[in-house]
Amino acid sequence: MTALPLVRQWEVMRAVSVVTYKEWAAYRTHSLVSVFVGPVYFVVQYFIWTAVYGGAGTLHGLELTQMIRYFGAATLIGYLTMDFADWNLSMLVRTGRYLTFALRPLHHRFFALSQKVGHRALGFLFEFLPCLLIFVLLFRVDMRPASAGWLLVTVALAFLMGFYVRYCLGLASFWLVDARGLQGVVAILSGLFSGTLIPLVFFPHWLQVLQFFLPFQYMLYVPAMVFTGSYSLGSTHLSIPQVVGCQAAAVVVMFLLSEVLYRAATRRFTDSGS
Amino acid sequence: MDAVAVRRYLAAYRVCLRIAVRQATTYRASFLLSSVITLVGNLAFPLVTVLIYGSGAGFPGWTADEVLLIQSVFTLSAGLSGLVLGGVVFVTMDRVREGTLEIVLLKPVRPLPFIVLTTLQPESAGVALGGAVLLGWAASRSVHAVSVTGVLSFVGLFLAGLCVMAGMSLVMAATSFRWVGNSRLPEIADSTRTFGRYPLAIFPRAVQSVVTFVVPVGMVGFFPASALLGRSVPGMWPAAATCVAFLGFGVWLYHHQIRHYQGVGG
Repeated sequence: MTALPLVRQWEVMRAVSVVTYKEWAAYRTHSLVSVFVGPVYFVVQYFIWTAVYGGAGTLHGLELTQMIRYFGAATLIGYLTMDFADWNLSMLVRTGRYLTFALRPLHHRFFALSQKVGHRALGFLFEFLPCLLIFVLLFRVDMRPASAGWLLVTVALAFLMGFYVRYCLGLASFWLVDARGLQGVVAILSGLFSGTLIPLVFFPHWLQVLQFFLPFQYMLYVPAMVFTGSYSLGSTHLSIPQVVGCQAAAVVVMFLLSEVLYRAATRRFTDSGS
Repeated sequence: MDAVAVRRYLAAYRVCLRIAVRQATTYRASFLLSSVITLVGNLAFPLVTVLIYGSGAGFPGWTADEVLLIQSVFTLSAGLSGLVLGGVVFVTMDRVREGTLEIVLLKPVRPLPFIVLTTLQPESAGVALGGAVLLGWAASRSVHAVSVTGVLSFVGLFLAGLCVMAGMSLVMAATSFRWVGNSRLPEIADSTRTFGRYPLAIFPRAVQSVVTFVVPVGMVGFFPASALLGRSVPGMWPAAATCVAFLGFGVWLYHHQIRHYQGVGG
Protein backbone atom coordinates (compact mmCIF):
# COMPACT_ATOMS: atom_id res chain seq x y z
CA MET A 1 0.00 0.00 0.00
CA THR A 2 1.55 3.29 -1.05
CA ALA A 3 1.37 6.18 1.38
CA LEU A 4 -1.10 8.96 0.63
CA PRO A 5 0.29 12.45 -0.02
CA LEU A 6 0.37 14.61 3.09
CA VAL A 7 -2.43 16.94 1.94
CA ARG A 8 -4.64 13.96 1.10
CA GLN A 9 -3.88 12.42 4.51
CA TRP A 10 -4.92 15.64 6.19
CA GLU A 11 -8.19 15.68 4.22
CA VAL A 12 -8.89 12.06 5.13
CA MET A 13 -8.12 12.65 8.80
CA ARG A 14 -10.34 15.72 8.88
CA ALA A 15 -13.22 13.93 7.18
CA VAL A 16 -13.02 10.82 9.39
CA SER A 17 -12.60 12.80 12.61
CA VAL A 18 -15.52 15.12 11.79
CA VAL A 19 -17.78 12.16 11.02
CA THR A 20 -16.67 10.41 14.23
CA TYR A 21 -17.28 13.59 16.19
CA LYS A 22 -20.82 13.88 14.77
CA GLU A 23 -21.49 10.18 15.38
CA TRP A 24 -20.51 10.37 19.05
CA ALA A 25 -22.00 13.82 19.55
CA ALA A 26 -25.38 12.08 19.29
CA TYR A 27 -24.46 10.56 22.67
CA ARG A 28 -22.78 13.65 24.11
CA THR A 29 -24.66 13.39 27.38
CA HIS A 30 -22.81 10.09 27.94
CA SER A 31 -19.58 12.07 28.09
CA LEU A 32 -21.14 14.23 30.75
CA VAL A 33 -20.94 11.27 33.16
CA SER A 34 -17.30 12.34 33.45
CA VAL A 35 -18.41 15.72 34.81
CA PHE A 36 -19.69 13.84 37.87
CA VAL A 37 -17.24 10.93 38.04
CA GLY A 38 -14.01 12.89 37.49
CA PRO A 39 -14.59 15.49 40.25
CA VAL A 40 -15.83 12.78 42.67
CA TYR A 41 -12.65 10.73 42.26
CA PHE A 42 -10.61 13.93 42.53
CA VAL A 43 -12.36 14.94 45.76
CA VAL A 44 -11.65 11.51 47.25
CA GLN A 45 -7.98 11.80 46.26
CA TYR A 46 -7.86 15.32 47.70
CA PHE A 47 -9.05 14.16 51.13
CA ILE A 48 -6.95 11.00 51.08
CA TRP A 49 -3.74 12.87 50.42
CA THR A 50 -4.59 15.76 52.72
CA ALA A 51 -4.98 13.20 55.53
CA VAL A 52 -1.91 11.21 54.50
CA TYR A 53 0.36 14.25 54.37
CA GLY A 54 -0.80 15.52 57.77
CA GLY A 55 2.13 17.64 58.84
CA ALA A 56 4.60 16.00 56.47
CA GLY A 57 6.31 18.41 54.08
CA THR A 58 7.06 16.01 51.25
CA LEU A 59 6.51 12.36 50.36
CA HIS A 60 8.90 10.89 47.80
CA GLY A 61 9.87 14.43 46.88
CA LEU A 62 6.28 15.55 46.24
CA GLU A 63 4.61 18.31 48.24
CA LEU A 64 0.88 18.15 48.97
CA THR A 65 0.04 20.94 46.51
CA GLN A 66 2.10 19.18 43.85
CA MET A 67 0.25 15.93 44.59
CA ILE A 68 -3.15 17.62 44.25
CA ARG A 69 -2.05 19.22 41.00
CA TYR A 70 -0.78 15.83 39.83
CA PHE A 71 -4.18 14.18 40.32
CA GLY A 72 -5.99 17.13 38.74
CA ALA A 73 -3.72 16.97 35.70
CA ALA A 74 -3.95 13.15 35.53
CA THR A 75 -7.76 13.33 35.47
CA LEU A 76 -7.83 15.97 32.74
CA ILE A 77 -5.09 14.40 30.60
CA GLY A 78 -7.00 11.10 30.79
CA TYR A 79 -9.93 12.79 29.04
CA LEU A 80 -7.68 13.95 26.21
CA THR A 81 -5.91 10.63 25.65
CA MET A 82 -8.59 8.03 26.44
CA ASP A 83 -8.65 5.29 23.82
CA PHE A 84 -10.55 2.18 22.83
CA ALA A 85 -8.95 1.38 19.49
CA ASP A 86 -8.39 -2.19 20.76
CA TRP A 87 -12.09 -2.73 21.31
CA ASN A 88 -12.98 -1.32 17.88
CA LEU A 89 -10.40 -3.40 16.02
CA SER A 90 -11.32 -6.57 17.94
CA MET A 91 -14.95 -6.05 17.02
CA LEU A 92 -14.08 -5.56 13.34
CA VAL A 93 -11.97 -8.74 13.27
CA ARG A 94 -14.47 -10.83 15.22
CA THR A 95 -17.42 -9.83 13.05
CA GLY A 96 -15.47 -9.98 9.79
CA ARG A 97 -16.16 -6.33 9.10
CA TYR A 98 -12.44 -5.68 8.97
CA LEU A 99 -12.67 -6.88 5.35
CA THR A 100 -14.20 -3.58 4.29
CA PHE A 101 -11.11 -1.82 5.66
CA ALA A 102 -8.69 -4.29 4.09
CA LEU A 103 -10.18 -3.35 0.70
CA ARG A 104 -9.77 0.40 1.19
CA PRO A 105 -6.72 2.29 -0.11
CA LEU A 106 -6.05 3.49 3.42
CA HIS A 107 -3.99 2.12 6.31
CA HIS A 108 -6.52 1.05 8.97
CA ARG A 109 -4.29 2.40 11.74
CA PHE A 110 -4.49 5.87 10.19
CA PHE A 111 -8.27 5.56 9.94
CA ALA A 112 -8.47 4.50 13.62
CA LEU A 113 -6.18 7.37 14.67
CA SER A 114 -8.42 9.82 12.80
CA GLN A 115 -11.42 8.37 14.62
CA LYS A 116 -9.65 8.95 17.92
CA VAL A 117 -8.98 12.58 17.00
CA GLY A 118 -12.70 13.14 16.43
CA HIS A 119 -13.73 11.24 19.52
CA ARG A 120 -11.33 13.07 21.78
CA ALA A 121 -12.33 16.44 20.30
CA LEU A 122 -15.72 15.61 21.77
CA GLY A 123 -14.01 14.62 25.03
CA PHE A 124 -12.24 17.97 25.05
CA LEU A 125 -15.54 19.85 24.87
CA PHE A 126 -17.74 17.70 27.09
CA GLU A 127 -15.26 16.21 29.59
CA PHE A 128 -12.01 18.17 29.71
CA LEU A 129 -13.38 21.73 29.68
CA PRO A 130 -16.22 21.23 32.23
CA CYS A 131 -13.91 19.36 34.62
CA LEU A 132 -11.16 21.97 34.20
CA LEU A 133 -13.67 24.67 35.14
CA ILE A 134 -14.85 22.66 38.15
CA PHE A 135 -11.28 22.11 39.36
CA VAL A 136 -10.30 25.76 38.92
CA LEU A 137 -13.48 27.61 39.90
CA LEU A 138 -15.04 25.24 42.44
CA PHE A 139 -12.07 23.42 43.99
CA ARG A 140 -9.64 26.35 43.55
CA VAL A 141 -6.85 24.09 42.26
CA ASP A 142 -4.00 25.83 40.50
CA MET A 143 -4.19 24.17 37.08
CA ARG A 144 -1.59 26.37 35.39
CA PRO A 145 1.08 24.13 33.83
CA ALA A 146 4.74 24.68 34.58
CA SER A 147 5.35 24.96 30.83
CA ALA A 148 2.42 25.17 28.43
CA GLY A 149 4.58 24.37 25.39
CA TRP A 150 6.10 21.19 26.81
CA LEU A 151 2.71 20.17 28.15
CA LEU A 152 1.18 20.35 24.66
CA VAL A 153 4.01 18.22 23.26
CA THR A 154 3.87 15.59 26.01
CA VAL A 155 0.06 15.31 25.90
CA ALA A 156 0.23 14.87 22.11
CA LEU A 157 2.81 12.11 22.60
CA ALA A 158 0.69 10.51 25.34
CA PHE A 159 -2.25 10.64 22.93
CA LEU A 160 -0.22 8.72 20.34
CA MET A 161 1.28 6.31 22.87
CA GLY A 162 -2.14 5.37 24.23
CA PHE A 163 -3.37 4.84 20.71
CA TYR A 164 -0.45 2.64 19.58
CA VAL A 165 -0.64 0.49 22.72
CA ARG A 166 -4.38 -0.04 22.31
CA TYR A 167 -4.03 -0.65 18.59
CA CYS A 168 -1.39 -3.34 19.18
CA LEU A 169 -3.79 -4.94 21.67
CA GLY A 170 -6.52 -4.86 19.06
CA LEU A 171 -4.16 -6.55 16.59
CA ALA A 172 -3.97 -9.50 19.00
CA SER A 173 -7.50 -10.33 17.82
CA PHE A 174 -6.01 -11.65 14.57
CA TRP A 175 -4.39 -14.45 16.62
CA LEU A 176 -6.76 -14.92 19.56
CA VAL A 177 -10.37 -16.06 19.37
CA ASP A 178 -11.26 -13.77 22.23
CA ALA A 179 -8.78 -11.01 23.11
CA ARG A 180 -10.82 -9.60 26.00
CA GLY A 181 -8.73 -11.46 28.58
CA LEU A 182 -5.50 -9.95 27.25
CA GLN A 183 -7.14 -6.53 27.04
CA GLY A 184 -8.30 -6.87 30.65
CA VAL A 185 -4.80 -7.78 31.84
CA VAL A 186 -3.25 -4.80 30.02
CA ALA A 187 -6.01 -2.50 31.34
CA ILE A 188 -5.07 -3.48 34.90
CA LEU A 189 -1.34 -3.08 34.26
CA SER A 190 -2.04 0.26 32.61
CA GLY A 191 -4.16 1.38 35.57
CA LEU A 192 -1.39 0.50 38.00
CA PHE A 193 1.68 1.57 36.07
CA SER A 194 0.43 4.65 34.26
CA GLY A 195 0.15 6.48 37.57
CA THR A 196 -3.65 6.81 37.60
CA LEU A 197 -4.05 5.50 41.16
CA ILE A 198 -0.84 6.74 42.73
CA PRO A 199 2.33 8.46 41.47
CA LEU A 200 4.86 5.86 40.37
CA VAL A 201 7.51 7.11 42.84
CA PHE A 202 5.57 5.24 45.56
CA PHE A 203 6.36 1.87 43.96
CA PRO A 204 9.39 -0.21 45.00
CA HIS A 205 12.62 0.96 43.32
CA TRP A 206 12.92 -2.00 40.95
CA LEU A 207 9.35 -1.50 39.70
CA GLN A 208 10.08 2.18 39.09
CA VAL A 209 13.14 1.30 37.02
CA LEU A 210 11.09 -1.26 35.09
CA GLN A 211 8.68 1.49 34.03
CA PHE A 212 11.33 3.01 31.74
CA PHE A 213 10.99 -0.12 29.57
CA LEU A 214 7.18 -0.35 29.64
CA PRO A 215 4.84 1.98 27.72
CA PHE A 216 2.48 2.82 30.58
CA GLN A 217 4.22 5.75 32.28
CA TYR A 218 4.40 7.59 28.94
CA MET A 219 0.59 7.52 28.72
CA LEU A 220 -0.12 9.48 31.92
CA TYR A 221 2.64 9.75 34.52
CA VAL A 222 5.06 11.61 32.25
CA PRO A 223 2.56 14.25 31.03
CA ALA A 224 1.18 14.71 34.57
CA MET A 225 4.70 15.24 35.94
CA VAL A 226 5.56 17.59 33.06
CA PHE A 227 2.47 19.55 34.10
CA THR A 228 3.82 19.84 37.66
CA GLY A 229 7.24 20.87 36.36
CA SER A 230 9.53 18.12 37.63
CA TYR A 231 10.13 14.48 36.82
CA SER A 232 11.68 11.77 38.92
CA LEU A 233 11.46 7.98 38.78
CA GLY A 234 13.70 5.19 40.04
CA SER A 235 16.10 7.70 41.65
CA THR A 236 16.57 9.24 38.18
CA HIS A 237 15.88 12.94 37.84
CA LEU A 238 15.33 14.12 34.29
CA SER A 239 14.75 17.63 32.99
CA ILE A 240 11.46 18.22 31.18
CA PRO A 241 13.08 18.23 27.68
CA GLN A 242 14.92 15.00 28.54
CA VAL A 243 11.83 13.13 29.73
CA VAL A 244 9.74 14.34 26.78
CA GLY A 245 12.57 13.15 24.53
CA CYS A 246 12.40 9.71 26.18
CA GLN A 247 8.65 9.74 25.69
CA ALA A 248 9.05 10.60 21.99
CA ALA A 249 11.54 7.74 21.55
CA ALA A 250 9.11 5.34 23.26
CA VAL A 251 6.31 6.48 20.94
CA VAL A 252 8.50 5.81 17.87
CA VAL A 253 9.30 2.30 19.19
CA MET A 254 5.61 1.63 19.80
CA PHE A 255 4.74 2.92 16.32
CA LEU A 256 7.27 0.57 14.73
CA LEU A 257 5.99 -2.35 16.82
CA SER A 258 2.43 -1.61 15.71
CA GLU A 259 3.55 -1.60 12.06
CA VAL A 260 5.36 -4.96 12.43
CA LEU A 261 2.31 -6.46 14.15
CA TYR A 262 -0.05 -4.93 11.59
CA ARG A 263 1.84 -6.49 8.66
CA ALA A 264 1.95 -9.90 10.38
CA ALA A 265 -1.73 -9.64 11.32
CA THR A 266 -3.03 -8.72 7.87
CA ARG A 267 -1.23 -11.77 6.43
CA ARG A 268 -3.30 -13.93 8.80
CA PHE A 269 -6.63 -12.32 8.05
CA THR A 270 -9.20 -14.51 6.31
CA ASP A 271 -12.83 -13.74 5.63
CA SER A 272 -15.58 -15.15 3.45
CA GLY A 273 -16.96 -11.80 2.35
CA SER A 274 -19.47 -11.29 5.13
CA MET B 1 -45.40 -12.06 48.04
CA ASP B 2 -46.73 -15.18 49.84
CA ALA B 3 -44.79 -18.21 51.09
CA VAL B 4 -45.56 -20.26 47.98
CA ALA B 5 -44.21 -17.54 45.72
CA VAL B 6 -41.06 -17.24 47.83
CA ARG B 7 -40.52 -21.02 47.57
CA ARG B 8 -40.99 -20.83 43.80
CA TYR B 9 -38.46 -18.03 43.49
CA LEU B 10 -35.95 -19.90 45.66
CA ALA B 11 -36.37 -22.99 43.48
CA ALA B 12 -35.90 -20.83 40.38
CA TYR B 13 -32.82 -19.27 42.02
CA ARG B 14 -31.26 -22.72 42.51
CA VAL B 15 -31.89 -23.62 38.88
CA CYS B 16 -30.53 -20.32 37.59
CA LEU B 17 -27.45 -20.60 39.80
CA ARG B 18 -26.77 -24.08 38.45
CA ILE B 19 -27.17 -22.83 34.86
CA ALA B 20 -24.90 -19.83 35.50
CA VAL B 21 -22.17 -22.03 36.99
CA ARG B 22 -22.43 -24.51 34.10
CA GLN B 23 -22.29 -21.73 31.54
CA ALA B 24 -19.24 -20.27 33.23
CA THR B 25 -17.44 -23.61 33.45
CA THR B 26 -18.10 -24.36 29.77
CA TYR B 27 -15.41 -21.81 28.94
CA ARG B 28 -13.20 -22.54 31.94
CA ALA B 29 -10.12 -20.61 30.82
CA SER B 30 -12.19 -17.52 30.03
CA PHE B 31 -14.05 -17.87 33.35
CA LEU B 32 -10.83 -18.19 35.36
CA LEU B 33 -9.16 -15.32 33.52
CA SER B 34 -12.12 -12.96 33.94
CA SER B 35 -12.40 -13.96 37.62
CA VAL B 36 -8.72 -13.19 38.19
CA ILE B 37 -8.92 -9.90 36.25
CA THR B 38 -11.97 -8.79 38.24
CA LEU B 39 -10.27 -9.77 41.49
CA VAL B 40 -6.99 -7.99 40.69
CA GLY B 41 -8.96 -4.91 39.57
CA ASN B 42 -10.66 -4.83 42.97
CA LEU B 43 -7.37 -5.24 44.81
CA ALA B 44 -5.89 -2.07 43.31
CA PHE B 45 -7.11 0.08 46.20
CA PRO B 46 -5.57 -2.14 48.92
CA LEU B 47 -2.35 -2.02 46.91
CA VAL B 48 -2.41 1.79 47.00
CA THR B 49 -2.90 1.59 50.78
CA VAL B 50 0.13 -0.71 51.07
CA LEU B 51 2.20 1.70 48.97
CA ILE B 52 1.12 4.73 51.05
CA TYR B 53 1.98 3.03 54.35
CA GLY B 54 5.14 1.60 52.77
CA SER B 55 6.32 5.16 52.22
CA GLY B 56 6.08 5.82 55.96
CA ALA B 57 2.87 7.84 55.74
CA GLY B 58 -0.70 6.82 56.57
CA PHE B 59 -4.14 7.84 57.72
CA PRO B 60 -3.99 9.42 61.21
CA GLY B 61 -5.29 7.01 63.87
CA TRP B 62 -5.41 4.03 61.53
CA THR B 63 -2.80 1.34 60.99
CA ALA B 64 -2.23 -0.19 57.55
CA ASP B 65 -3.89 -3.45 58.65
CA GLU B 66 -6.97 -1.59 59.88
CA VAL B 67 -7.36 0.28 56.58
CA LEU B 68 -6.85 -2.99 54.72
CA LEU B 69 -9.61 -4.48 56.88
CA ILE B 70 -11.99 -1.75 55.67
CA GLN B 71 -10.99 -2.39 52.06
CA SER B 72 -11.26 -6.16 52.41
CA VAL B 73 -14.82 -5.83 53.76
CA PHE B 74 -15.55 -3.55 50.81
CA THR B 75 -14.09 -6.10 48.36
CA LEU B 76 -16.09 -8.96 49.91
CA SER B 77 -19.26 -6.88 49.69
CA ALA B 78 -18.52 -5.93 46.07
CA GLY B 79 -17.96 -9.61 45.20
CA LEU B 80 -21.16 -10.85 46.82
CA SER B 81 -23.34 -8.07 45.40
CA GLY B 82 -21.72 -8.51 41.97
CA LEU B 83 -22.51 -12.23 42.11
CA VAL B 84 -26.23 -11.59 42.55
CA LEU B 85 -26.84 -8.14 41.07
CA GLY B 86 -23.82 -7.50 38.86
CA GLY B 87 -25.72 -8.21 35.66
CA VAL B 88 -28.90 -6.28 36.43
CA VAL B 89 -27.61 -2.89 35.27
CA PHE B 90 -26.19 -4.03 31.93
CA VAL B 91 -29.02 -6.44 31.12
CA THR B 92 -31.68 -3.82 31.87
CA MET B 93 -29.70 -1.24 29.90
CA ASP B 94 -29.29 -3.57 26.90
CA ARG B 95 -32.93 -4.66 26.89
CA VAL B 96 -34.14 -1.06 27.10
CA ARG B 97 -31.81 0.01 24.29
CA GLU B 98 -32.71 -2.96 22.07
CA GLY B 99 -36.41 -2.73 22.92
CA THR B 100 -36.57 -6.34 24.09
CA LEU B 101 -37.70 -5.82 27.68
CA GLU B 102 -41.26 -6.82 26.79
CA ILE B 103 -39.99 -10.38 26.41
CA VAL B 104 -39.49 -10.23 30.19
CA LEU B 105 -42.59 -8.16 30.90
CA LEU B 106 -44.85 -10.69 29.13
CA LYS B 107 -43.72 -13.56 31.36
CA PRO B 108 -45.98 -14.50 34.30
CA VAL B 109 -43.28 -13.48 36.81
CA ARG B 110 -42.19 -10.26 38.47
CA PRO B 111 -39.66 -8.62 36.11
CA LEU B 112 -37.07 -7.57 38.68
CA PRO B 113 -36.62 -10.99 40.38
CA PHE B 114 -36.60 -12.62 36.95
CA ILE B 115 -33.81 -10.34 35.67
CA VAL B 116 -31.86 -10.82 38.90
CA LEU B 117 -32.16 -14.60 38.65
CA THR B 118 -31.14 -14.80 35.03
CA THR B 119 -28.13 -12.50 35.25
CA LEU B 120 -26.08 -14.08 38.03
CA GLN B 121 -22.35 -13.43 37.56
CA PRO B 122 -20.30 -16.39 38.85
CA GLU B 123 -17.01 -14.65 38.00
CA SER B 124 -17.66 -12.24 40.88
CA ALA B 125 -17.16 -15.24 43.18
CA GLY B 126 -13.41 -14.68 42.67
CA VAL B 127 -13.72 -11.17 44.07
CA ALA B 128 -15.76 -12.42 47.03
CA LEU B 129 -13.21 -15.16 47.69
CA GLY B 130 -10.30 -12.71 47.39
CA GLY B 131 -12.09 -10.28 49.71
CA ALA B 132 -12.74 -13.06 52.25
CA VAL B 133 -9.07 -14.13 52.22
CA LEU B 134 -7.90 -10.53 52.61
CA LEU B 135 -10.47 -10.00 55.37
CA GLY B 136 -9.18 -13.04 57.27
CA TRP B 137 -5.58 -11.89 56.86
CA ALA B 138 -6.24 -8.26 57.84
CA ALA B 139 -8.50 -9.28 60.75
CA SER B 140 -5.85 -11.66 62.12
CA ARG B 141 -3.40 -8.74 62.24
CA SER B 142 -5.68 -5.94 63.41
CA VAL B 143 -8.49 -7.44 65.52
CA HIS B 144 -6.93 -8.18 68.90
CA ALA B 145 -10.01 -9.16 70.90
CA VAL B 146 -12.98 -10.76 69.16
CA SER B 147 -16.25 -10.34 71.02
CA VAL B 148 -19.63 -11.89 70.21
CA THR B 149 -21.14 -8.41 70.12
CA GLY B 150 -18.46 -7.25 67.72
CA VAL B 151 -19.02 -10.19 65.35
CA LEU B 152 -22.81 -9.84 65.48
CA SER B 153 -22.50 -6.09 64.85
CA PHE B 154 -20.16 -6.81 61.95
CA VAL B 155 -22.62 -9.27 60.39
CA GLY B 156 -25.55 -6.88 60.82
CA LEU B 157 -23.68 -3.90 59.40
CA PHE B 158 -22.20 -5.98 56.59
CA LEU B 159 -25.71 -7.04 55.55
CA ALA B 160 -26.73 -3.38 55.66
CA GLY B 161 -23.76 -2.63 53.38
CA LEU B 162 -24.98 -5.29 50.96
CA CYS B 163 -28.34 -3.48 50.92
CA VAL B 164 -26.50 -0.32 49.82
CA MET B 165 -24.65 -2.14 47.05
CA ALA B 166 -27.90 -3.69 45.84
CA GLY B 167 -29.74 -0.39 46.11
CA MET B 168 -27.10 1.40 44.03
CA SER B 169 -27.26 -1.27 41.31
CA LEU B 170 -31.03 -0.92 41.15
CA VAL B 171 -30.88 2.89 41.06
CA MET B 172 -28.41 2.72 38.17
CA ALA B 173 -30.54 0.10 36.37
CA ALA B 174 -33.63 2.25 36.91
CA THR B 175 -31.79 5.28 35.52
CA SER B 176 -31.14 3.37 32.30
CA PHE B 177 -34.88 3.54 31.52
CA ARG B 178 -34.51 7.31 31.15
CA TRP B 179 -30.85 7.70 30.15
CA VAL B 180 -31.03 5.12 27.39
CA GLY B 181 -27.96 3.20 26.25
CA ASN B 182 -25.43 4.95 28.49
CA SER B 183 -22.96 2.20 29.26
CA ARG B 184 -21.09 4.55 31.60
CA LEU B 185 -23.86 4.64 34.20
CA PRO B 186 -22.11 2.14 36.53
CA GLU B 187 -19.17 4.57 36.74
CA ILE B 188 -21.40 6.94 38.71
CA ALA B 189 -22.06 4.24 41.32
CA ASP B 190 -18.41 3.12 41.33
CA SER B 191 -17.12 6.63 41.97
CA THR B 192 -19.65 7.26 44.76
CA ARG B 193 -18.79 3.96 46.46
CA THR B 194 -15.12 5.00 46.67
CA PHE B 195 -15.92 6.94 49.84
CA GLY B 196 -16.69 3.64 51.57
CA ARG B 197 -13.16 2.30 51.07
CA TYR B 198 -11.49 4.68 53.55
CA PRO B 199 -11.82 5.75 57.19
CA LEU B 200 -14.66 8.27 57.19
CA ALA B 201 -12.73 10.54 59.57
CA ILE B 202 -10.53 11.74 56.68
CA PHE B 203 -13.55 13.43 55.07
CA PRO B 204 -15.21 16.67 56.28
CA ARG B 205 -18.30 16.32 58.46
CA ALA B 206 -20.69 17.26 55.65
CA VAL B 207 -19.31 14.49 53.43
CA GLN B 208 -19.42 12.04 56.37
CA SER B 209 -23.11 12.85 56.89
CA VAL B 210 -23.93 12.34 53.21
CA VAL B 211 -22.15 8.98 52.95
CA THR B 212 -23.73 7.85 56.23
CA PHE B 213 -27.34 8.95 55.93
CA VAL B 214 -28.06 10.00 52.33
CA VAL B 215 -26.13 7.65 50.07
CA PRO B 216 -24.84 5.38 52.85
CA VAL B 217 -21.76 3.97 51.09
CA GLY B 218 -19.84 4.28 54.36
CA MET B 219 -21.69 1.13 55.38
CA VAL B 220 -20.09 -0.94 52.63
CA GLY B 221 -16.63 -1.03 54.18
CA PHE B 222 -16.01 1.43 56.97
CA PHE B 223 -18.81 0.74 59.48
CA PRO B 224 -18.64 -3.10 59.49
CA ALA B 225 -14.84 -2.99 59.80
CA SER B 226 -15.10 -0.50 62.68
CA ALA B 227 -17.50 -2.86 64.48
CA LEU B 228 -15.08 -5.73 64.07
CA LEU B 229 -12.27 -3.57 65.41
CA GLY B 230 -14.39 -2.66 68.43
CA ARG B 231 -14.48 1.00 67.44
CA SER B 232 -17.80 2.60 68.19
CA VAL B 233 -18.88 5.12 65.58
CA PRO B 234 -21.80 7.46 66.36
CA GLY B 235 -24.79 6.96 64.08
CA MET B 236 -23.81 3.42 63.15
CA TRP B 237 -27.19 1.74 63.70
CA PRO B 238 -29.42 4.57 62.44
CA ALA B 239 -27.26 4.45 59.32
CA ALA B 240 -27.98 0.71 59.02
CA ALA B 241 -31.70 1.51 58.96
CA THR B 242 -30.99 4.08 56.22
CA CYS B 243 -29.33 1.31 54.18
CA VAL B 244 -32.46 -0.84 54.25
CA ALA B 245 -34.51 2.20 53.24
CA PHE B 246 -32.01 2.85 50.43
CA LEU B 247 -32.54 -0.68 49.09
CA GLY B 248 -36.30 -0.15 49.32
CA PHE B 249 -35.89 3.07 47.36
CA GLY B 250 -33.89 1.20 44.67
CA VAL B 251 -36.61 -1.46 44.31
CA TRP B 252 -39.35 1.18 44.19
CA LEU B 253 -37.47 3.29 41.65
CA TYR B 254 -36.86 0.28 39.39
CA HIS B 255 -40.53 -0.68 39.38
CA HIS B 256 -41.55 2.94 38.92
CA GLN B 257 -39.22 3.44 35.94
CA ILE B 258 -40.41 0.25 34.23
CA ARG B 259 -43.62 2.14 33.53
CA HIS B 260 -41.66 4.51 31.34
CA TYR B 261 -40.32 1.70 29.18
CA GLN B 262 -41.32 1.97 25.54
CA GLY B 263 -40.86 -0.83 23.01
CA VAL B 264 -42.31 -1.94 19.73
CA GLY B 265 -42.62 -5.64 20.35
CA GLY B 266 -38.98 -6.74 20.68
